[in-house]
Amino acid sequence: MTRIEFERSGGFMGRKVTLNLNLDELPPDQAQTLSLLIDESDFFNLPDSPAKPPVPDSFLYTITVTTDTRQHTVHTSDTTAPERLRPLLIDLSARARAR
Amino acid sequence: MHKLRNILCIIPPHMLREIGEKGTANQRTLALATLSHSNEIRSLRFQKEMVERAAMMRAPTKQRNVYDAKNGSQLPGTLVRTEGDPISTDTAVNEAFDGAGATYDMFFEVYGRNSIDNNGMRLDSTVHYQKGFDNAFWDGKQMVYGDGDEDLPPAEQLFRRFTASLDVIGHELTHGVTQFEANLNYFSQPGALNESMSDVFGSLVKQRLRGDTAGQADWIIGEGLFTSNVNGVGIRSMKAPGTAYNDPVLGKDPQPAHMSNYVNTIEDNGGVHINSGIPNHAFYVASIEIGGNAWEKAGQIWYKTLADKLNSTSNFQDAANLTFEAAGELFGANSLEQNAVKKGWEEVGIAVGAPPQGEGCLTAVLRAVGLAK
Ligand SMILES: [Zn+2]
Repeated sequence: MTRIEFERSGGFMGRKVTLNLNLDELPPDQAQTLSLLIDESDFFNLPDSPAKPPVPDSFLYTITVTTDTRQHTVHTSDTTAPERLRPLLIDLSARARAR
Repeated sequence: MHKLRNILCIIPPHMLREIGEKGTANQRTLALATLSHSNEIRSLRFQKEMVERAAMMRAPTKQRNVYDAKNGSQLPGTLVRTEGDPISTDTAVNEAFDGAGATYDMFFEVYGRNSIDNNGMRLDSTVHYQKGFDNAFWDGKQMVYGDGDEDLPPAEQLFRRFTASLDVIGHELTHGVTQFEANLNYFSQPGALNESMSDVFGSLVKQRLRGDTAGQADWIIGEGLFTSNVNGVGIRSMKAPGTAYNDPVLGKDPQPAHMSNYVNTIEDNGGVHINSGIPNHAFYVASIEIGGNAWEKAGQIWYKTLADKLNSTSNFQDAANLTFEAAGELFGANSLEQNAVKKGWEEVGIAVGAPPQGEGCLTAVLRAVGLAK
């Protein structure tokens, strides 16, 4: 079991978009892509990386990944996200906006 | 420490002195650091005034660079247009260039300000940031614009490119001005004031370019950002906060126009893009009361307040009191302009001259340093 909770708030508009995914319920190829992005970001070892001080109009992201054995949450932003997290961030943003 | 800086917002100096004298070693250090910080701000302000006066004597030094992120996240990206270059074939590049120019011109010609730092700082903008980036921001050094949600199928697209709206460009550049002036903390009421200053001057850039009087202007922020799929005229309305859009996908514009509808939230840095509706509407009402071109008198009052009076922890009440004070200094006590400012704040539920409400904040910091339960 792997679940992803994603939230994007702030931005010029201050609009919040959210996404809740259960990888078991996704088509296998999509689940596999997301699993890979989680692994490649080394997600469970990522520290928080919010912009400090806050960047005006920047999006604020919160990502939580839960598996059978562990759970981890990361807060980050466009200007401070670690490079290895970006592909996952961009993928989740695209999915959240498309709903 | 970072958190404490934020909640030290309204601790009056006498209270800090008290903590400095009676508190524990740690509390004393904290209180004294805060006190000397405010003294430092005052002397910096004096120095800045000297610099500003010197700047007024100089010729404008408008320097603009536009970069292309080519859908990536690296800033600033590749330089694609600089001052003196011919028009680009890329619309977003030209919009960012021209919008920065119109904003620079207003600040220089109307308020005597030479760029973001009042010292001729180059205006850097990056377009085509990421893919499907429905946003624009000021990163502390430059403006950044996305292309909207161009990556979605046309029937699902909600946003166009963020350079399409001149007031968005004025809004972002004004965040830079605020950073060099009041440097309003980007959280809660100071953050909403920071947002409101950006909306005010962003809208004024557009009004001035169009030649709209306060009565003729649409007072919409982000006009032209939505695609035709959205039921809305723009992102925010300064004339009627809360009415800019009402859409099945985006929901309803959440902005209040009155203190009685102030939204307490921790999202969006404490609702900075929501509660900015309150000071936005106060500016709108004051502008209408004064009449004529809003950038001339109301804009002068707000600019003077931003540049000379507000500080990083100012709240709405401070803004009301200080714009009133600035109006008195510029146009005279009990002048039409000063009364217009008073009326503007009254209409949003803030009485000019009332003491700042800050009990919650005071209690919070006293608790943080262990002097209250
Ligand atoms: Zn803003």
